Amino acid sequence: MWDERREVAAPGGLTAADVLTVAVPTGRLFAESISLLRRAGVLGTAPDACGPPQERSLVLLAAAGQILVVKPADIPVYVEHGAADAGIVGRDVLLEQGRDVYELVDLGFGPCRGVVAVRSGEENAWPRGRTVRVATKYPRIAARYCERRGWPVEIIALNGAVELAPRVGLADAILDVVVTGRTLRDNLLVEVAEVFRSTARLVVNRASLRTKGAAVQRLIAALEELKTQPADEAASGVAGPAPVQRAWRDG
Amino acid sequence: MRLRDAPPPRWQQVPPGLPDLGPVEAARRSALCDLLREEFRLWGYREVAPPTLEYLETFTRGAGAGTADRLFKLTDRGGELLALRPDFTLPVARLAATRLLPAGGAPLRLAYVGSVFRGQEEGQGRLREFTQAGVELLGGEAPDADAEVIALAASCLRRAGAAGAILHIGHLDFIDDALHPLPPHLREEVRDHLYRKAFVDLDALDLPPALRRLLRVLPDLRGPDVLRRARPLAASPRSARALEELAGLMERLGEYGVGDLVGIDLGIIRDFGYYTGVVFEAYGSGSGYPLLGGGRYDRLLERFGTPAAATGFAVGVERLLSTIPDAVTPSAEVIVLASGDAPARARAVRFAAGLRARGLAAVLAFRQGWDEAVRGAEAAVRWVAQVGEDDVRVLDRAVGREEHLSLLGALRAIAGPEDAGRRGGADRVG
Repeated sequence: MWDERREVAAPGGLTAADVLTVAVPTGRLFAESISLLRRAGVLGTAPDACGPPQERSLVLLAAAGQILVVKPADIPVYVEHGAADAGIVGRDVLLEQGRDVYELVDLGFGPCRGVVAVRSGEENAWPRGRTVRVATKYPRIAARYCERRGWPVEIIALNGAVELAPRVGLADAILDVVVTGRTLRDNLLVEVAEVFRSTARLVVNRASLRTKGAAVQRLIAALEELKTQPADEAASGVAGPAPVQRAWRDG
Repeated sequence: MRLRDAPPPRWQQVPPGLPDLGPVEAARRSALCDLLREEFRLWGYREVAPPTLEYLETFTRGAGAGTADRLFKLTDRGGELLALRPDFTLPVARLAATRLLPAGGAPLRLAYVGSVFRGQEEGQGRLREFTQAGVELLGGEAPDADAEVIALAASCLRRAGAAGAILHIGHLDFIDDALHPLPPHLREEVRDHLYRKAFVDLDALDLPPALRRLLRVLPDLRGPDVLRRARPLAASPRSARALEELAGLMERLGEYGVGDLVGIDLGIIRDFGYYTGVVFEAYGSGSGYPLLGGGRYDRLLERFGTPAAATGFAVGVERLLSTIPDAVTPSAEVIVLASGDAPARARAVRFAAGLRARGLAAVLAFRQGWDEAVRGAEAAVRWVAQVGEDDVRVLDRAVGREEHLSLLGALRAIAGPEDAGRRGGADRVG
């Protein structure tokens, strides 16, 4: 007999299989994520159901579970380990990390593009014949991108303000996400190649998809209904995915 | 300002991701390994022990050249590249195909328990050395062999006490056949997205509408009515046959009495390059990872020279361990005081030997008086005994009863009647 929803008592008349822990990212995607989860009924519809959304409170009690507020790069970690059943995260982070999580819904918001940019005036000399130094928050994506093109490369992994690197001679180029392109212009950089496109995604732990299947499907259905229209063009696969482990018996 | 704190010396640490278990943790792990070994033995699977290190070529031949990057490698004296085994299936397939199967005797039922190594998973929160316990049934055809192996997997979960764990069973033919009409590059792309479970990216590909619909519902293709929902999506005779095979498999698993622990889940996708039919993973509460995984891999053994049908699974011992309750494992069951003169010590030593012969862990306490031994013992130690010239003073800490008994009476009180055979069987390694 298939018994997906185990009857374990939990507060509020919910069973353990109904209670989801959802991780939302701080930063750029935070406000939209909270608003979406509220409209989806996860956070409760009353505006004060969990108090005003504040990035500083790390755990919010929600109508049907809890919300964890963590750094964007940590979302796939929480979800892969099952510390969160589901999470909202940009595709850029997923491409960089190659975690073993289900990527199930394109939520449409938070669009951005990953691009290679060089100092203005150097765009015609790109790519250079010699080793290029690329500054980026996405070292694995950058390494794969250059490897596929056969460029000798030195990756300079930074945690922010990447566009500064070419100006001060730390790097020849950057690989970073842009939303409007304004930051590039302000820093006298020119885009020379698009590497990937990104929007916010719903990711789900592979055990939770099964042990809490009904609750996860309800969440997916609610988000599918609410999601803003995805970018007109399909997410490009230019960067290629991070390799996930395969070919061995995985216990 | 420069911090002058010297890092702790290397010799005080172990490299990241490598487990370093103390007695309590090691005892828990051993107990689970013993339980799994015993279960394998009861089903007629004999343990094999391939080496920890093999030629790198063995692994790349079995799993593809791309896997070499993620192995622990080292160089042998002659310059040959060696690698630590990343799983047991490859070494066991090599051993069986080169030596055991040519000697006859198929079907072969083989089991293994031991460490496996994944070199490149540091910082991912995953261990680089962990324990796998599993079986391979070589030369056994579907669906009987699949049913046996899955029933054994379910039996292992049940015996280990993994409450609520369910085996999710899928079939690669169901989806793989739907991909065959695609041009090769697109097929590879779809497979790659499937490995990554990137269903959003799949949805964005330019695919035939029927396939797109199938891929969209794939993560949710499970539950009691899964076959009814999946049949209209089966695009070809081969896909339909996969569903029939699963239906037959479920019937057989019912006969094994494990129907409540299994379910069809067509969203279980394991490696297409390795698995060829029924695949399965166990999920339970308490772990975000599968507790065990396996499936049919009919093409692997031919890469090592002897074609043979094959199926098997491996339990992730540490993962399963994380979902089952902690049992307290005392260092000993009996403390025997051995203070005093030589005759007293000799009596204590002989009494302890008698306890051990009856299967009880006995520890001798030298230089301790009665009160000191009673106070100092771990809470989980049940018995304290002191062997006098004429009798044995025995304290049963479980009930707080102290008695003076004859030598034989004391042995019986502690170990139970000799003919009860209460110990020994569970500890025997098959």
